[in-house]
Amino acid sequence: MADAVQMQLDCGIGLAVLEMPHRRAVASEMRVLTGVVNEPADKLGLAHLVEQTVDKGTQDHTGRELQDEFDKIGTGVHSWCGKQASGFTSLCLPEYFARNIELQAELLRTPTFPKDSCDVAIELARQELMSLEDDAQGLADKHIGRQAMGPLLGRHTSGESETLANIYRDDFVSFWQSNYAAGKMQVSIVGPMSPSQVADIIEARFSGFGDKTQTNRDIVPVEFDAVAKHHDKQTEQEHMVIALQGVRKSGESYSAARILMGVLAGGMSARLFTEVREKLGLVYWVGGWQEHPRGAGLMYFGASTTPERCSKTYETMLAELARVGKDVTQEEVDRARTGIEVRFDIRGDVTRALCSELADDLMHFGRPVPREDKLKRLRDVTIDDVKRFWEGYVQDAPRSVVTLGPKALDS
Amino acid sequence: MLRAAWSHWDRRRSIPNAFKKRQNAKAKSMGDQFTISKLSNGLDIAIERMEGVKSVGAGFLVKTGARDETSDLAGVSHFLEHMCFKGTPNRSAAQLNIDFDRIGGNPNAFTSHDRTFYHGLARSTDFSRLLEILGDMMHSTLPPDEFDMEKNVVLEEIAMSNDRIEHVAFDQIIESVFKGNSLSWPVLGYDRTVKAMSRDQMNDYFQTRYTPANMVLVVAGAVDPQEVIAEAEKMCGHWQAGEPRPDRTKPVMGKGIVQKTIDRFNQQVVAITFEGPGAIDPLHDTAEAAASILGGGNSRFYWNIEQTGLAPYAGAYRLDFGDCGLFILMAQCDPQNTERVIEALRKEAKEFATGPVSEEEIQRVKNKRRTGLAVEGESPHHRLVQVMDDVDYRGKPRTVEDRIAAVNAVDRDSLHDLFDAFPVDGEWLLVSVGPLASTAA
Repeated sequence: MADAVQMQLDCGIGLAVLEMPHRRAVASEMRVLTGVVNEPADKLGLAHLVEQTVDKGTQDHTGRELQDEFDKIGTGVHSWCGKQASGFTSLCLPEYFARNIELQAELLRTPTFPKDSCDVAIELARQELMSLEDDAQGLADKHIGRQAMGPLLGRHTSGESETLANIYRDDFVSFWQSNYAAGKMQVSIVGPMSPSQVADIIEARFSGFGDKTQTNRDIVPVEFDAVAKHHDKQTEQEHMVIALQGVRKSGESYSAARILMGVLAGGMSARLFTEVREKLGLVYWVGGWQEHPRGAGLMYFGASTTPERCSKTYETMLAELARVGKDVTQEEVDRARTGIEVRFDIRGDVTRALCSELADDLMHFGRPVPREDKLKRLRDVTIDDVKRFWEGYVQDAPRSVVTLGPKALDS
Repeated sequence: MLRAAWSHWDRRRSIPNAFKKRQNAKAKSMGDQFTISKLSNGLDIAIERMEGVKSVGAGFLVKTGARDETSDLAGVSHFLEHMCFKGTPNRSAAQLNIDFDRIGGNPNAFTSHDRTFYHGLARSTDFSRLLEILGDMMHSTLPPDEFDMEKNVVLEEIAMSNDRIEHVAFDQIIESVFKGNSLSWPVLGYDRTVKAMSRDQMNDYFQTRYTPANMVLVVAGAVDPQEVIAEAEKMCGHWQAGEPRPDRTKPVMGKGIVQKTIDRFNQQVVAITFEGPGAIDPLHDTAEAAASILGGGNSRFYWNIEQTGLAPYAGAYRLDFGDCGLFILMAQCDPQNTERVIEALRKEAKEFATGPVSEEEIQRVKNKRRTGLAVEGESPHHRLVQVMDDVDYRGKPRTVEDRIAAVNAVDRDSLHDLFDAFPVDGEWLLVSVGPLASTAA
C-alpha cells in the first residue's frame, strides 16, 4: 500500500489522499475543527445542533432537495459531533466523487438554517436527552466523561435540557460563522482517485470559504477529578466505569499503552474478560477502551452486572489493574500485539476504515503517518515498556469512578 | 459420539494426494468467484475467493436457532453458542481463547431464530489455524464445571437486554406476533427457562443438531479454494453425518393491540407490524426498497415524522425468516406524542401503499443500495455474512452483481405486487412499550 499524500490547499484546507486504484468506492471524511469545547457555556449542545442542521437547507436547495441530490448519486453524508471536531463522512462510486464534493461544499458553505429546522433540531435534542435516560450505559459514559475530562472536554454532545432552552436560530448562524471555515478543515480521501485530481476538485469547491488561517488546533487540558460517584437509577443491572489518565496518540508511550490495554481488554484471553467473566461468571459485558482528545488520553474500564455482584466485579477489576504490571508475561504482550496488528491489517481491507484512520492522523499528528511506521512503533514495544507504562499510569494512579444503577458499591 | 470420533483424530496428519484429487473433482466452481463443495459426510462448503484483500473470514453455519427449540428449552441455542467457547476435547476454555488471540482471530458468534453462526476473521496466512480452532469448537465438551458459571453470564445478558427499551419492545413484538409458534420466544430465552436448563438437555440438543447434515462451512477472502477444501476434509471429513433438523412450522401472524407498561423507562416505543415477504420471496428486494422509501434515510418518515419534531427515531424495518417475514413500522418518542406518532406511522404507510410513488423515489433508494453493495463487496467480513445468508436461505451464494441486479429489478409494478400480497393498510399488530398505562390506536 502506498503512503498517503498530504497537501496544504490554497483555500486553507489540510488535505490527505491515499490513492488505492483497485477499490470500488471513494471514502471521504471532512473534519471541521470545532466541537463541544467551542460552545458558549450557557448553550451546550449547540455544536451538535449546527452539525445536524447544516444540511436542512442551503442557498440553492431545500434540505429535502439536497438529500435527493445526494441520493441521485447513491450516497449520503453521515455526520457526527465530537469534543474538538465535527465530522462529515461519505462513500460514493468514483464517477460521482466530484458531484459528491460539490454537494458537501454546498451544505458546509451555504447553509440557511431555516427557523423551522432549527426549532425541530432543538426539540429532537430534548427528546434525545430523554432517550439517553433510558440508556444506562450511555448515561454512565456521560457521567464518567464529565468526571474524567472536566467541565470543558467533558461536555456531552447532546447538551443539557436547561442549555438547550437557551438556544435560538441566531445562535446556529453565529456558531457556524465563527467555526466553519476552510482554515479549520481537514479533509481525508481514500479510493481510486489521484491526489492531484482530488486536490483540484476540493480547491475549486472550497476556495474562498471563510478564513484561511489555521485555527482551532489548541490543546484543551484534561481536568481529571479523582472521585467515585454513584448515580441512583432503577435498572436491572449496575453499570460501572473506572477512568485513568493515559497518554496522547502522538506520545512516546502510546504504543505501550495500546498493548497494556490489549493485555487487559483486547481479546478473549485478555485479563478482564478471563478473570471477571470466564472464571467468575460475574458479567456478560466487561471491557476497556481509550479516548483521545487532541493532546490527551484517557483509559476506561467498564462492566455491567446485577447489583448483588457489583462489588465483587469492581474488586476483581481493580485487582487486575493492580497486578497486571507485576506479572504480565511475554506471551500476553505478544498476543495483545498480534491482535492489534491483525485488526490493523483487516482495517486495511476496508476503504472507509482507512479513511477514518487517515483523518485521525491529521487530527492528532498533523500529518499522515505511514502504516509501516505505526507497525514499527508497535513492534518495538518491549515487555519492560509495558511495565513502565503501568508503573507510571496505572499502578498508583488516581481513579475516577462512576456507578449507575440501584445499588452503590460497598464501601 | 462426535466427540469420541474427534478426539481420535490426528490433526497433524496430512491428506494423501489421491484423496485431494477426489475432493477436487467434487468441487463445483461457479465462475471464478465461488466454489461449492460437499464432503462425503454431507458438510456443505461455500467459498468466495476475493482479490485484493489480505484477510479471510471463515465460519460454521449451524442451521438451528431459537425457533427449533421446545418451549421448556427456550434459549438453549444461544446458551449452547456460549458453551461452544468453553472447552473442547483438545482445549480448555482458556486455551481456546489464547489460541484465537494468538492469530488475532476476532472470533465471534451469533444466534438468531433461524440459525447459529460461529465465525472469525484473520490474516489469510492464518486461515488453516482459524479453521482448525473453529472446527474444534463445533465439538465442545460442554464442560460440566463451566455450565453453571456460563449460565450466570447468560442471565446477565438477559438482564442487560431488559434494561434496553428497544430490546424489550422487539421481544414483545416477536412474542405477540408469533404467539403459539416457536418463533415467539426470545433468542436469549427467558430467565426461568435458562435457570431450569440442565447440561444433559443441552447436550441432547447439541448432539442432534450440530452434525454435517445441518452445517455449512463458509469462507470468504484471500484463499485458494482447493486448499480450503483440503483443510476442511482434514478437519471435518470424519464428522458423523447425522440427520437434518425437524421441519419448521410456519407461524400464523397475531393481530391486535399489546400494551406493556414499564414505569422506569422515560420514552415510549411503538411498533406497527404487518406480514411481509420472507427471505426467499421474489418480492424480498422490493420490500427492502419499500422499507427504505418509507423509513430509511431521506425517507417519508424522516421528513414527515422525525423532521417535524414528533419523534427522534422513526423507521421501517424488515425481519426475514426462511419461510415468513415481517414489516415493522417503529418509533421511539416522548410518551405524550405517542398517539400522534402512531397516527403518523399509519398515515404514511397507507399513503405509500395506495398513493403514487415516483420513479425518482424508487431510483434514489436503488442508487443508495447499489453503492452500499459495492462497498460491502470489498470486505471479507461482509461477504462472509452475505454468503452465509444466501447459502442458508437460497441454497447458493449470489455475487455482488447478482444482488445489484435484484435491486435494479425493483419498480412501480413490483411495489404494486408487494402491497397486493402484503397490504400495509390491512390488519396489523400494535405493540406499545414504555411508561404509558394504555395506548389508543
